[in-house]
Amino acid sequence: MKSNLLARDRNPPRPDPGHGFEGRILRLVKSVPERRAIESGQIDAVIDPATGKAFLLPDAQQALREEQARVRGLLALSSDWFWEQDEHYRFVSHTGTASGSSGIYDESIIGKTLRDPPFGSMGESDWQAHQRLLEWRATFRDLELRCTDRAGVMRWISISGEPIFGQQDQFTGYRGTMRDITQRKQSEALAQVSREKLAERTRAEQGVERAPGNGAARGIVSRKNSAERRRQERLLGKVATGNPTANRLLAALPRKEYQGLRAGLEAVTLTYGQILSEPGEPITHVYFPIDCLVSLLTTVEGHQALEVGLVGREGMVGISLALGMDVSSVRALVQGTGTAMRMNAARFRKEFRKSVPLQRELYRFIHAKLAQARQTAACNRFHRVEARLARWLLMTRDRVRSDQFLLTHAFLADMLGVRRVGVSLAAGALQRRKLITYTRGKIGILDRKGLEAASCGCYEVIKDL
Amino acid sequence: MPRKKTKREASGRAVATIVVMRLYIANDAPNSVRAVANLEAICKEHLKDKFKLEIIDVLETPLRALADGILVTPSLTKVSPSPAAKIVGNLSDKRSVLHALGIVEPVE
Repeated sequence: MKSNLLARDRNPPRPDPGHGFEGRILRLVKSVPERRAIESGQIDAVIDPATGKAFLLPDAQQALREEQARVRGLLALSSDWFWEQDEHYRFVSHTGTASGSSGIYDESIIGKTLRDPPFGSMGESDWQAHQRLLEWRATFRDLELRCTDRAGVMRWISISGEPIFGQQDQFTGYRGTMRDITQRKQSEALAQVSREKLAERTRAEQGVERAPGNGAARGIVSRKNSAERRRQERLLGKVATGNPTANRLLAALPRKEYQGLRAGLEAVTLTYGQILSEPGEPITHVYFPIDCLVSLLTTVEGHQALEVGLVGREGMVGISLALGMDVSSVRALVQGTGTAMRMNAARFRKEFRKSVPLQRELYRFIHAKLAQARQTAACNRFHRVEARLARWLLMTRDRVRSDQFLLTHAFLADMLGVRRVGVSLAAGALQRRKLITYTRGKIGILDRKGLEAASCGCYEVIKDL
Repeated sequence: MPRKKTKREASGRAVATIVVMRLYIANDAPNSVRAVANLEAICKEHLKDKFKLEIIDVLETPLRALADGILVTPSLTKVSPSPAAKIVGNLSDKRSVLHALGIVEPVE
């Protein structure tokens, strides 16, 4: 539509030289109400029966030209890419590579959906939620995804879209915008890390959050121990059990061991729905969660996934590597956004071979995981959904160290291996007993002791592992 | 391609007169945009679901407009119920629009 107008603007209709513009209009428009409307400036266009074409009056022409200039100006300023998808949500066109700054929007995405590479950080549950939106033909905004650009570099994009409908009102696809938000994401992650460092330092200076320990000073992720702190530690004859923002497994290592590991560790932000490993796929990194939560899921053909383990700050994701296997046996799904330290697989193997304390800590952790999985297996088979939900909420609470967290029905159903109705009933029951609050996926634990009583004995068994 | 905006009656079995209208506009020209907005407000207030509106862009389909006897845009025609009526301009004069559509404004 716009392009037609552009063409029109470049060749504005010229009035017939002999008669003048006004005269031409007066010749065409004879009725009084129409002439009056023209005089009062309420008319945009007049149709000439002789040519069968409509021409715009000068005011309307001017307004449209200004409007187009404005839109063009805004488009040029915007760093967004525009795209269109067909009715199967596959990309059919895009304006990409306008700035050339990142090569993710090249022809390689044509024919692909957001689920296919080079996109691909969407977890199963997120993808399903997104697809539901699409099937409702809803408009979606600022969906944040990771993808790989031409150079193989990981980037973040934000994508928004709205449905398009054809002449007969039938759905023909989606169109929208896409934006590179890698820089924002990186600075957010950096800011998060520096916030943590600052919090650590503040705590260290105040000498709070300390409890007796049993080894050398426990290292804290990329922290510079101040002389003051060491002095305090000597005076107290105690060591910190590790900052609450540290991973307990790393914090339990003697300082020397930890220093050795540190160079190989990097802080990363894990986001909800991200999948760290899939069953049967090689493990690229091991993760030491700090304040995020990772679910280990086993998938059974024809069924939804079932949770078989939960890893938070007490452990590590990727224990198969420590057991000498390079492939994962579970799907590791990030369930609570937060920071983790990660190390690549090769480096981890090397460190693991040479560090006895690391081996000891990991074997202890693996034993706990195994016991937890065994207990969970029995629990899932024998205990009521309500008790299992209570147990699961308590386990989550212990790991995120917060009485408030976000979990959807669908997600809980996956975790407990029941239908969503089952989750609603169980959550409703716990809510009636004033143990939790549950609104729109937001869970609050009101009474921890009461919830412990409501949970099955399995919580007591695995709590201390 | 005419831009169509069709609103069907919700469900009710009660016999309700549906006002069928055509609005002729020129793309996004100022008076055309205003006419669409004015008409939408009027329909929402007085006709609820009981109308069908077709919006025709004369820059794209001028012959269609000519065939309907339209020379200037924006123009609004009432196709049914009879009598047919036509009103030109940006429809900012609500009273004359209601009159043309045969809607009696409730006495306040």
